[in-house]
Amino acid sequence: MKVNVDKTLVASIALHVLVLGWGLFTFSSRAFVPAEESLPVDIISTDQLAQMMSGQKTGDKKEPKPKVEKIAEAKPEEDAVGKVTEKKELIKTNSTPEPPPKPVEKPVEKKPEPPKPVAEAKPKEEPKPQEKKPDPAKEDPIAELQKKLETKKPPPKPVEQKVAAVQPQQQPKPKERSFDPAQIQRNLDKRDPTRHELGGAALNASASLGSTSGAASNNVATWRGAFTSAVRRCFTPTYNGQDADQYEADIDIPMKIDGSLASEPVIVEVRGPSKSIAQAVAESAKRAIVQCQVYSFMPKQQYEGWKKIEMTFGLKDML
Amino acid sequence: MNRRRFMTLTGSTLAMLGSGSSFAQGRIRLDPTEFRPIPIAITNFVPGSSADGDVSNGVTQVITNNLKRSGLFAPVDQAAFIERISNIDVAPQFENWKTLNAQALVTGRMTRQQDGRLKAEFRLWDVVTGQQLAGQQYFTSPEYWRRIAHIISDQIYEKLTGEKGYFDSRVVFVDETGPKERRVKKLAMMDQDGANVRYLTRGADLVLTPRFSPNSQEITYMEFGQGDPKVYLFNIETGQREIVGNFPGMTFAPRFSPDGQRVIMSLQQGGNSNLFVMDLRSRSTTRLTDTPAIDTSPSYSPDGTRICFESDRGGRSQIYVMAAGGGQAQRISFSKDDTNASYSTPVWSPRGDYIAFTRQGGGQFSIGVMKPDGSGERLLTSGYHNEGPTFSPNGRVLMFFRDPGGSGGPSLFSVDISGRNELKVPTPGFASDPAWSPLLSSTAGQ
Repeated sequence: MKVNVDKTLVASIALHVLVLGWGLFTFSSRAFVPAEESLPVDIISTDQLAQMMSGQKTGDKKEPKPKVEKIAEAKPEEDAVGKVTEKKELIKTNSTPEPPPKPVEKPVEKKPEPPKPVAEAKPKEEPKPQEKKPDPAKEDPIAELQKKLETKKPPPKPVEQKVAAVQPQQQPKPKERSFDPAQIQRNLDKRDPTRHELGGAALNASASLGSTSGAASNNVATWRGAFTSAVRRCFTPTYNGQDADQYEADIDIPMKIDGSLASEPVIVEVRGPSKSIAQAVAESAKRAIVQCQVYSFMPKQQYEGWKKIEMTFGLKDML
Repeated sequence: MNRRRFMTLTGSTLAMLGSGSSFAQGRIRLDPTEFRPIPIAITNFVPGSSADGDVSNGVTQVITNNLKRSGLFAPVDQAAFIERISNIDVAPQFENWKTLNAQALVTGRMTRQQDGRLKAEFRLWDVVTGQQLAGQQYFTSPEYWRRIAHIISDQIYEKLTGEKGYFDSRVVFVDETGPKERRVKKLAMMDQDGANVRYLTRGADLVLTPRFSPNSQEITYMEFGQGDPKVYLFNIETGQREIVGNFPGMTFAPRFSPDGQRVIMSLQQGGNSNLFVMDLRSRSTTRLTDTPAIDTSPSYSPDGTRICFESDRGGRSQIYVMAAGGGQAQRISFSKDDTNASYSTPVWSPRGDYIAFTRQGGGQFSIGVMKPDGSGERLLTSGYHNEGPTFSPNGRVLMFFRDPGGSGGPSLFSVDISGRNELKVPTPGFASDPAWSPLLSSTAGQ
């Protein structure tokens, strides 16, 4: 049995197959490979990352002094701004005439106490850091406002009067707030903005359970790098020979909490083919350290970590 | 992330932390990436009387130029000075100098004594700490006021860098005058800063390759006289000269041994030349090399135990090192990028750490340094024609001559051994073949 095959059909099919096959390979798009840029990265451990990102859980313990100071100076109860409302419990206690004076008197008695431990904890030689403590307080607008109010109202007795004056305003408010499930939204809109005092009148510039910046200021690498950069600006190495990489000088730097030098830097050891050249390099480094002070950017809460900075000056990258 | 990859990453992280990453507690390390000269304020020396004004200003100017030319110091412009020093016995107001960012301050006074001598006093202050780093006084004849300025410059240099200075030194060179085809070459000597030029020969005969003796009182050089060119000794003080040895042929490329008791040189023998050393006391000579090649430009190591020299025994001029008494020589020059490069005129640093050389390759002449084992080769300057390096007494600076070609002539230049601070050395005319003396103040007692 003969099958008649149309040669033109066969040729057409063959041509189509060829064209489609060619098209499959030539028109196939290549996968897009994005160009990778190299970025400098610092490798840190998970512990360090956690430390940077976590809040200061131990903040209360670490910073008892600022809190004490702020209690003495700030007194959240004195806030005469109408938006700040007192808890009901406080209102109840104030309603009785005799008890209120006692709790008010107690904090007044505590006021002179906080300055004493502050003076004891920090050496008497350092009054300046204490004077500079208002700086972090400036970051907290509430604390600033409270301070301003305090300065305007010095004696504690008027405070009692003001607290009493505030009370009648607060008393009628609960009466207005009758709960109606059908009008929750309206009630919420009418409700005055309120804010509860922090932790029972414990104020601090940084939150005790974490802040927006986390514990970044505690990052050792941060202040070490900043300190190195600052000293580098003043360091003029006295040697640029081809064996410069063999010279090193170890210098210990006693620091004050305000970032100035507690005493002259101490040359611990010098190394290099020529002792006299190494000594000159060390002396030059010492000059740079003294010249570039005060290092006021150093984190005060980490003072124990940089009370004595141990530094090594080398010349290996200079050529 | 599979477990194995996690373990690998954790392990590498711990390894990096353990190897002293920036988070590891311990010493903070600071390595400056660039060299900057030390800012220094040099006040005008106070004149002891109105007659001492010129010399006071002169000393101040010489010190300022010396320190500036060294490349290690940046003198602060006097126009910016806030405080005027009128009494050097009173401590300066350092705050006035801190505002200028000066790290060191120089004060001084020049006073003519009743016996006619000049009294020079100076103090070097650390502006940052307020401490006096140095304080000296010198007496000299008035005509040597420049030397006093150089000595004070050396004191400042040494106190701040820890190295001996090189300012109180001289350079002997070949002074060239006249058209190129009829060039007159005279032996000349000057202070390292180009001042006090003094001619040692009249230019009747051609002179080449002068070299100082260790005590700076004698010079050895080659002169084309009536017969073959010979090596001569020349006494600077007396002007007397004598031929070194009596060899049947041309002697050239002489150089003193570190103790000054011997002169090493080349002796031409047919188409070759070999190294010989002559004891200046016994006048006995010793052959050091015996090869069918040109061995020349010998230079002792500072301890006198070894010699570096150039030789074409391998087909092309290269640098070799061998024991001072002769023996097996080891080639130390190997060009990495140009196998056809040749090395010549080696000279050992007074500190012993480097050998300077002239390198010819790629149509250029370069001045460079390498360690005595041939490692650490570093070219300091390159151009049409640079040749003949010589070390400063402290080994920190090289002087050489550069010939731009054409109808001009050669000039002297200096460059730091790190390749920085290339400067032209002022000379009265064309100059070539410089040789630096040892420090004069250190050889005064010799």
